[in-house]
Amino acid sequence: MMTSAASKRFLRPCTWVYAALIALTCVTWLIGRLQLSGLSTALLVLALALLKGHLIGDWFMGLRAVRGLWRWAIVIWLIVPGALITLAFVLSYGN
Amino acid sequence: MNATDTDGQRSNEVASAYPPGDLAIWIFILAELLVFAVFFAAYAFTRMNHVELFNQYQATLNRDAALINTIALLTASYFVVRGVVAAREGDNALCARWTWAAIAMGAVFLVVKSAEYAHHFEAGINLRTNTFYMFYLSLTFFHFLHVILGMVILAAVALKAQRGGYSSADHTGVETGASYWHMVDLVWLVLFPLVYVMR
Amino acid sequence: MQYKSQAVAKPYFIAAIGLFVGQILFGLIIGLQYVIGDFLFPEIPFNVARMVHTNLLIVWLLFGFMGAAYYLVPEEAERELVSPGLAILMFWIFLVAGALTILGYLLVPYSGLAEMTGNSLLPTMGREFLEQPTITKIGIVIVALAFLFNVGMTVLKGRKTVVSLVLLIGLTGLALLFLFAFYNPDNLVKDKFYWWWVVHLWVEGVWELILGSILAFVLIKTTGVDREVIEKWLYVIIAMTLITGIIGTGHHFYWIGTPEYWQWWGSIFSALEPIPFFMMTVFAFNMVNRRRRNHPNKAAVLWALGTAVMAFLGAGVWGFLHTLSPVNYYTHGSQITAAHGHMAFYGAYVMIVLTMISYAMPMLRGREAANSNRSQVLEMWSFWLMTVSIVFITLFLTGAGILQVYLQRYSADPLPFMVVQDKIALFYWMREVAGVMFLIGLLTYIASFFVGGKEPEAVVAATEGA
Repeated sequence: MMTSAASKRFLRPCTWVYAALIALTCVTWLIGRLQLSGLSTALLVLALALLKGHLIGDWFMGLRAVRGLWRWAIVIWLIVPGALITLAFVLSYGN
Repeated sequence: MNATDTDGQRSNEVASAYPPGDLAIWIFILAELLVFAVFFAAYAFTRMNHVELFNQYQATLNRDAALINTIALLTASYFVVRGVVAAREGDNALCARWTWAAIAMGAVFLVVKSAEYAHHFEAGINLRTNTFYMFYLSLTFFHFLHVILGMVILAAVALKAQRGGYSSADHTGVETGASYWHMVDLVWLVLFPLVYVMR
Repeated sequence: MQYKSQAVAKPYFIAAIGLFVGQILFGLIIGLQYVIGDFLFPEIPFNVARMVHTNLLIVWLLFGFMGAAYYLVPEEAERELVSPGLAILMFWIFLVAGALTILGYLLVPYSGLAEMTGNSLLPTMGREFLEQPTITKIGIVIVALAFLFNVGMTVLKGRKTVVSLVLLIGLTGLALLFLFAFYNPDNLVKDKFYWWWVVHLWVEGVWELILGSILAFVLIKTTGVDREVIEKWLYVIIAMTLITGIIGTGHHFYWIGTPEYWQWWGSIFSALEPIPFFMMTVFAFNMVNRRRRNHPNKAAVLWALGTAVMAFLGAGVWGFLHTLSPVNYYTHGSQITAAHGHMAFYGAYVMIVLTMISYAMPMLRGREAANSNRSQVLEMWSFWLMTVSIVFITLFLTGAGILQVYLQRYSADPLPFMVVQDKIALFYWMREVAGVMFLIGLLTYIASFFVGGKEPEAVVAATEGA
């Protein structure tokens, strides 16, 4: 039905990204399931989330193919609340 | 860069100065993301002063339901991407099918989330129960509303595609709807670990 | 002027300006009563003068909105108004009812007015901004319904544009939310709660839609930028306005006895209320920079840009200053609130009505597109006089407010209210001087309608072509 070059490949790049997102989600879920705590675990979970967000921004939202400031719109969005959440968790463990 | 390279958006064009879809939706997306960012930071800093309380009540949340919901949203996003690819190739019928499939995954999210809410409400939990539940209910419900709005936008795209409204030359509307939906997904990807997992 | 029935806007605009003068005079009276407590006592006590000041503001802005709608809608719908006669009839009903109400405030003690107008049958009086006798409120509803019918049918029968639909949604919301003025529960918490549904959801909700659509209309007309571009911006701005503004109502619920979650909802959502105003500023300047023509009515473009900037400063920045609940804990009901109120009302709503009047009045008075150069120069003078005055009023009140909050609520030994009022009297004097400047600006504005009438219309010099 599809005739483009992409359709002839076994798996599209976006399918690989999708599979990676699902896999990362399962890791997060497992950590939650085991109720693992501790600063490094919490920050690992956060890092996975930011990585997933970056995959969404780059591949699904198509920012990979954009230049200039818009290219980094989602990355910046991930970093700012990511940094604030990190700070809050570091401080809460410091207490 | 060529058509086989990204499968994302605008794959067959040189790097553009603007993201795919209508620029107005991107302004809107940024504003929405800002709202959620403020909400996330407020959650994290409030938690700082109530670590015990937050850890205790976080344990009452259903992480299995959240896993199903994350998968539902990610799958919906994937279907939306396929819908955009189909539209770009000028296949309106296929675009409509992928988009309806995405909407169905959105419906899965709504059903699972509603079941979670029903469980909490049966236990007599509401916004006034404690600070953790206040944040949990506010954040997830605000996101819940966005899922509904995203589904409405996608339905408009699917209906137009069914009428043959897009072409390989003009499918900005599909990209606009897709961008909004991905934002809904993106927000959940941070919300899920922050509220359900991180402790 | 493309359609004959647009002419009904003219009396509305004239009445608006007339009541505006009244509002400012009463503003000067209460400004003086801040420092000379028995000024005009017992003839015009402070509470009555304040009521007249705020009620006149609301009424003249409503006249302005209605006039703007009557001018804008036929042009957008590309047809005559359904019933120009009804519009004129409603004008007189509204004007007479408004005048009688104000006279009632001034001539009869408030409790006597309540008795005279049968307030006990359906008690709605006695609440800030909604002091009008019940019978006046019913009159407002009737006028609003007739107005909505007139404008709505014109839109439905004619061309439907985003600008006119957004305007219609805003006006309908204005009318519907006013119905909460009739809900007056005994429970004080509930009373305040729903009172804000009128007050807040008007000025930080549906009125912003009216503001956005009028601004979009004037920008389409004066810049010649594609309607689609402007409509797109309008969509984004109103969506953001509604998201932040509706839940942002929570910033009024901090200290009235509502549940704690309003502290969070109110703080987070209202903290983002400046965003749509900021978008509006970017939008207005962007459109003027991308203009396809130089409109001869420079004054109208100046007002439009002024609205975008001052609305952002007054509603956005000055609102944000005290919107977070930990800040508002100290500042609520202080002169900080008054500072915000003055600049926000002027920047957002006074200026948008004056923008529309500036754009439409030359045509309503038989000009092709603009007034004479002389008249425009005077109008631009009035723009700067009034705008700079309001900036100073705002700054002086902010200074007064900061000092008040510190002395009365924050310092280690808080002082009583009246002692603090004495200590900040200097700010009130400076505010009064700025108020007199504002009145001079307003008189200059009125004078601009009467000068250069016989001179030829301003045209765009060829060398200026973009």
